[in-house]
Amino acid sequence: MIELIQVPFMRHILLAGVFVAAGLAPLSVYVVLRRIVFVGAAVAEVASAAVALAVLFQLAPFPIALALTVTSFLALSRLADSQRLPLESLIGMLYAGGAAASVLLITKAPRGEANILNILFGNILTVPATLLWAMAGVFGALLVFQYVAAKELLISAYDPDMGRTLGIPVRAWNMIFYGAMGVAVAIAIRAVGALLTFTMLVAPGASALCLTGRLNRAFLVALALGVVSAVGGVMLSYQFDLPTGSTIVGLLVVLFAISYGIGQLRSAA
Amino acid sequence: MATELIKTRKLAVGYGPRGKVLQGIDFTIERGDFLGVMGPNGSGKTTLLKTLLGLLKPLSGTIETHAGGGGRPLFGYVPQRESLDTHYPLTALEVALMGRFGRIGMLRGPKKADYQLAHACLKQTGMDARANKPYRALSGGQKQRVLIARALASEPEILLLDEPTNGMDVSSEKAIMELLSELQKEKQTTVVFVTHLLHTIERYAHRVALITSDGSLIVGEKSKMLAPDVMARAYKEK
Repeated sequence: MIELIQVPFMRHILLAGVFVAAGLAPLSVYVVLRRIVFVGAAVAEVASAAVALAVLFQLAPFPIALALTVTSFLALSRLADSQRLPLESLIGMLYAGGAAASVLLITKAPRGEANILNILFGNILTVPATLLWAMAGVFGALLVFQYVAAKELLISAYDPDMGRTLGIPVRAWNMIFYGAMGVAVAIAIRAVGALLTFTMLVAPGASALCLTGRLNRAFLVALALGVVSAVGGVMLSYQFDLPTGSTIVGLLVVLFAISYGIGQLRSAA
Repeated sequence: MATELIKTRKLAVGYGPRGKVLQGIDFTIERGDFLGVMGPNGSGKTTLLKTLLGLLKPLSGTIETHAGGGGRPLFGYVPQRESLDTHYPLTALEVALMGRFGRIGMLRGPKKADYQLAHACLKQTGMDARANKPYRALSGGQKQRVLIARALASEPEILLLDEPTNGMDVSSEKAIMELLSELQKEKQTTVVFVTHLLHTIERYAHRVALITSDGSLIVGEKSKMLAPDVMARAYKEK
């Protein structure tokens, strides 16, 4: 570990992993409880389409991806109230639309495929210093936001009707939640790729909910599991010369399998 | 102080102009009322309740409210307990504490006094001993008591309950309805409950609002409302 920290390049990767974990892992508890797990996958497709669009028109990819990602999340927050369709069908359409747009745009964009692959499979090894500090700021603010607005986020997710009768502006809080998630996901995808972003947005929360029966603790357990996976994944990838992003994802999945097993054993006891 | 708490005039409720469920509703909820809203399944009871709560906009007509402090009365809403997701790892106390959220102030956490009040409401509903138990592990009747405690924790002027005894065994049903009767008698809490169970209305309600098969509402004293000719208006085939 000490050897790892002494290498500036690896220190950089370690920080990127920890920042992404700190930003997304606590959020993943709500992603799982709100049953919007595939939002991460769908929005990754939208981000890919945005990059393809930017490459096609020779624009800066990140601002376009950020704008489209946040817009997608905000649209989902508005459509979540629909009485006609369950949210998952809207997420499915977003996924299909994003994927189709990526393919269509990529065929017309020079060097588009290389950029898209970068987005989908991540480049935690090449996170620029400016992005690293942006991640520290945004993900730090996101942690504070989740702590300060804990009761508003809880009632908006758990029992929105009760929230409305208590005079809490549930729709506004849902928009804030989805908007914050949009910003976090856009930055995380840019930094570590879609696969790690998606997994970090699901696995720590799912694992934590298997391990603890208290919501407050679930956020802390998710944060701990996310950070442990990020650090452990970077160390293992360094030790065994493995792709870093995929190693972290693998570790998150293994930790989930263990947590699920523990949860099942506890339920049976 | 006016004794009227809520008064509707020519109220129509539903989901959009093509989804009109009830219309021409004129009725009053008095302070201290114990009103049972009855009708067959799918007749629009929950839609009416949600409109009174402000969760749905009236399609037409008006709802006048006369709260103690002026403005909108403070509602204590008890939803159908099946509507709450049991994946959330919350204790009975954490669920009851939600009733305080509207009074705590934005971006502030609950204080000691809020916890004390939530405990007191759980005690009132006979659930204080189970305050730290997981809500999802409670029986149907216990969950209902916790949800009533949550509604009481908001210090409401009126309690609105959606099918509070649905799916319960006889003893749980009796316990819940007697709890509501006590609250109404001892604290003068206004209680409005929705049910499709005739025997619950028969035993506990003071006044009855009956949804008829043509989508209107008739309201009156229980003795008159349970007459066979009146009941037939709700349960005859359309």
